[in-house]
Amino acid sequence: MRSEDLFAAEEGVISAAEELLANGRFADREDRERFADLLKNYQKLFRTTRRLMRLSDRNEQQLNAMSQEQRRANEIIAHKNKELEALSNKLSKYLSPQIYHSIFTGAQNVEIASNRKKLTVFFSDIADFTTTTENLESEELTTLLNRYLTEMSRIALEYGATVDKYIGDAVVAFFGDPETKGVKEDARACVRMAVAMQRRMRELHSEWLELGAERPFHVRIGVNTGYCTVGNFGSDARMDYTIIGNAVNLASRLQSHAELGGILLGHETYSLVKDEVAAEELSPIKVKGIAEPVRRYKVLGIYDDMAEEGTVIREERDGFKLMLDLTKQNRAAAVEALQAILSRLKE
Amino acid sequence: MRDRLEIKATSRTPSVAFDFAANRLKIAGESYPEDATEFYGPVFAALDNYLSRLGSGVCRFDFELIYLNSSSAKAVMMVMDKLDAAAKKGASVDVYWHYDGEDDTMQELGEEFGEDLENAKFHLEKMAG
Repeated sequence: MRSEDLFAAEEGVISAAEELLANGRFADREDRERFADLLKNYQKLFRTTRRLMRLSDRNEQQLNAMSQEQRRANEIIAHKNKELEALSNKLSKYLSPQIYHSIFTGAQNVEIASNRKKLTVFFSDIADFTTTTENLESEELTTLLNRYLTEMSRIALEYGATVDKYIGDAVVAFFGDPETKGVKEDARACVRMAVAMQRRMRELHSEWLELGAERPFHVRIGVNTGYCTVGNFGSDARMDYTIIGNAVNLASRLQSHAELGGILLGHETYSLVKDEVAAEELSPIKVKGIAEPVRRYKVLGIYDDMAEEGTVIREERDGFKLMLDLTKQNRAAAVEALQAILSRLKE
Repeated sequence: MRDRLEIKATSRTPSVAFDFAANRLKIAGESYPEDATEFYGPVFAALDNYLSRLGSGVCRFDFELIYLNSSSAKAVMMVMDKLDAAAKKGASVDVYWHYDGEDDTMQELGEEFGEDLENAKFHLEKMAG
């Protein structure tokens, strides 16, 4: 319906009133003037009504256009978000989940900056990886290496490690940043992780032999706790979230001195975990850049695991602590020692 | 009487700059207040007060509105009526309606407002830029 038709009745009233004003007979001049004034005001009100209606229609039209535009913008945003999500999923595989999370939640700025923190640093490396795999085709080598790194990363994630990087077959990880459960718990989690990795490695030996590796792989692990500088290093264009410092170098050295399939701890790590980790101190080693010989500890196992296996007897309560390592102590000697204690107790 | 009435613009209401001493009054911006009476009430009161003393003085009123809802349009028409009434009483009133060159509706609206003025002088101006 045209707007003219909408107002046909009002326009009819105005025409009739105008005709009456032109030809009508009024009682007196005053009545005529009142009628003329009334008509004028009616005409004005009519104009106002049409004007407001037009304005209202225009505004509604604009609102609809804006709402359509908004819908289109939302669709574009949703599409872009999906693209961004897919991209960020791809990118996340190049970052440790903790680092990824802290960057994407805004907890950490992507800028050249660093902090000093006490971290427990983990280094692992497959002994003689190159010679062990030199006869393999590149596809086989890739499958082998990826299988190994996938397994190790899964364990690292399970224990809450921040995987810093892979250097060929070597894995560098740390505990204590960007999330920490306290220095002691971080160190314990790291050693538990190292033990779990070695256990898994033993399980994987047969699988790898089937895949064509001539000799089973053995991993050396070094763990050390100390102050490190952690943060973004590099340039504004390309940066790496990593750790540097003597404590890091020492973890690497400990790894290179570890036995095949073994875990070596630095002194501070050992102090933090000794309540739950059985370890044997080995002769100190000289390390480049450190004046004093470095104390090192070979991990024998986790007491809880050893107790389950029956190689350790542990009893702990308030004011009483018993730890019997049957790998070091034969049963007869242990019984003798305990009986001596019992006799003293009964005195 | 106060020399000025200044109201800063918000996302929903226009700025009001009434410089009574200089006889320059202006309303600019977007107008779709939640409550048009609440917003325009003090504006009308100040304008009435000013116009009641204008006598045969000179006054310039500028509208620079980009968007207005129906209530605001009614308020603008009421301002126009007040200005026209003051002109009828002898004041020299100039009303400037500034419109965005790309907004036909605001131009048409201005033209129609101008047609309603019988005594005040009306000027339709395209906004610069």
